[in-house]
Amino acid sequence: MITIKNASLRKVLRIAIPFALVPAVIVAGVYLFKENSYMLISVAVIILSLLLFISGFEKKKTGTRRLIIVAIMTALSVVGRFIPVFKPVTAMTVITAVYIGGEAGFLVGAMSALISNFWFGQGPWTPFQMFAWGMIGLVGGLLSKYLKKSRVALVIYGVVAGLAYSLIMDFWALIWNNEIISMEAYLASLVTAIPYTIVYSASNLMFFALLAKPFGEKLERVKLKYGV
Amino acid sequence: MKAFDNYNPITVFIYFASVITIGMFCLNPVTMNPLILFLSLAGAVTTYLIRNRTEGAQSHLFFFVMFILLTVINPLFNHNGVTVLLIINNNPVTLEALLYGAASAAAIIGVIYWFRSFSQIMTSDKLLYILGNISPKFALILSMTLRYVPMFEKQTQKVIQAQRGLGLYSDTDFMSRVRGGTRVFSVMVTWALENGVITSDSMTARGYGITKRTFFSIFKFRRQDIILSAASVILFLIILAGVISGSVNFKFYPEISYAGTTVISVITYIAYGLLAFLPAFTESGEELRWKYLKSRI
Repeated sequence: MITIKNASLRKVLRIAIPFALVPAVIVAGVYLFKENSYMLISVAVIILSLLLFISGFEKKKTGTRRLIIVAIMTALSVVGRFIPVFKPVTAMTVITAVYIGGEAGFLVGAMSALISNFWFGQGPWTPFQMFAWGMIGLVGGLLSKYLKKSRVALVIYGVVAGLAYSLIMDFWALIWNNEIISMEAYLASLVTAIPYTIVYSASNLMFFALLAKPFGEKLERVKLKYGV
Repeated sequence: MKAFDNYNPITVFIYFASVITIGMFCLNPVTMNPLILFLSLAGAVTTYLIRNRTEGAQSHLFFFVMFILLTVINPLFNHNGVTVLLIINNNPVTLEALLYGAASAAAIIGVIYWFRSFSQIMTSDKLLYILGNISPKFALILSMTLRYVPMFEKQTQKVIQAQRGLGLYSDTDFMSRVRGGTRVFSVMVTWALENGVITSDSMTARGYGITKRTFFSIFKFRRQDIILSAASVILFLIILAGVISGSVNFKFYPEISYAGTTVISVITYIAYGLLAFLPAFTESGEELRWKYLKSRI
């Protein structure tokens, strides 16, 4: 791992990379390859943003216990993905985000996608799933103050997260099938995906209603007992 | 003999990144060259077949059906093109749309087959080797999670047996199964969290986090790795230059048109053919060497 010693240079890079590198990739992709290769550009952008997050995480001082809890929650959600039809991945991601923090939530979401795909099949969709679940976790962490207080808010967030996951993955499906990006094509693919969206949202509803309270209690207990 | 498994993970990654990037990159309306896409499909399927022989033969049938479906669906929804084959419900079905469907199906199935071989070759230890160079912490979480998954499965079985022994777990009807399952899951979560905290205490006691984390890896960067990575990169750059120059452009709509056959386009096709069949060459080369050595015993 190359580490940059100079602190100010590091700061400049941390700002420069997301604001320069990502647009540079998009512009280069559009101009160099004349007419758009959406698939390649979007995969490159998603991988870059994941790498940025990971390298940011690397710099931070994270306690060993926090690290372990992330690994455990990821493993539980990977095991849970073997349940047919109803997948608890979103629920585990958000619960971790709410009780441990947004960054932990991002990691649980992204890692669950990466690791469970060792069994379910890796593909160009892996970075997108990592991104979708990771973002659900990150946003859940930002909203944790409200989500912790009321269970209704948590369940609503679960349903919205199911929708958001579906929106992101439909966008992926659109560029994967190589259609020209237009609002109508996107809407059409959203309409065909309605059954899946309903299953996502319904299973999130079920898991949040069932798991949120006991899981929260367990995590709170471990936090209190061992001081994470 | 599986020669590709013996290469350094970085080499394997470079190879698959270049071949898949080209395969995916050609999946767009301007450079959608059917020859390149079918070379990608043929290379991917050959690589997979050489590695797996007749294993999992039914899966090929599934992908074949998917190929046909993807081919047929496009002309039903896309009515561009000038050569009308037949008219269904006042909508024309065109030859161009059918061929376009076949080309995009070849691209999609090709990429899926590349990924099938990739995930067979790039086992989790190799992925850890690559990730460990980028982010040791991320790699640590990854390796611990991979270890937890089978451990949790085993522990779940133990808990179920214990609950059954106590007479608390019965799978006679649906409701009691759900109730029992929920209890087992709850036990598992508590156990996993406590177990994890003990693990982390043990790690801290042994000095985790005091200095930089190092990794054990058995992979060496040999001469064959240098040759293969150099070959992949050079071929990739040749193809990229060929594609960007526009000499392999291919348009389906409104009618099929393509940049004529030039020296550059022929070089690009040959380069992509070599790149796509590189694993097939190395695997069969290894096999020949093996047979030759065996015959001398």
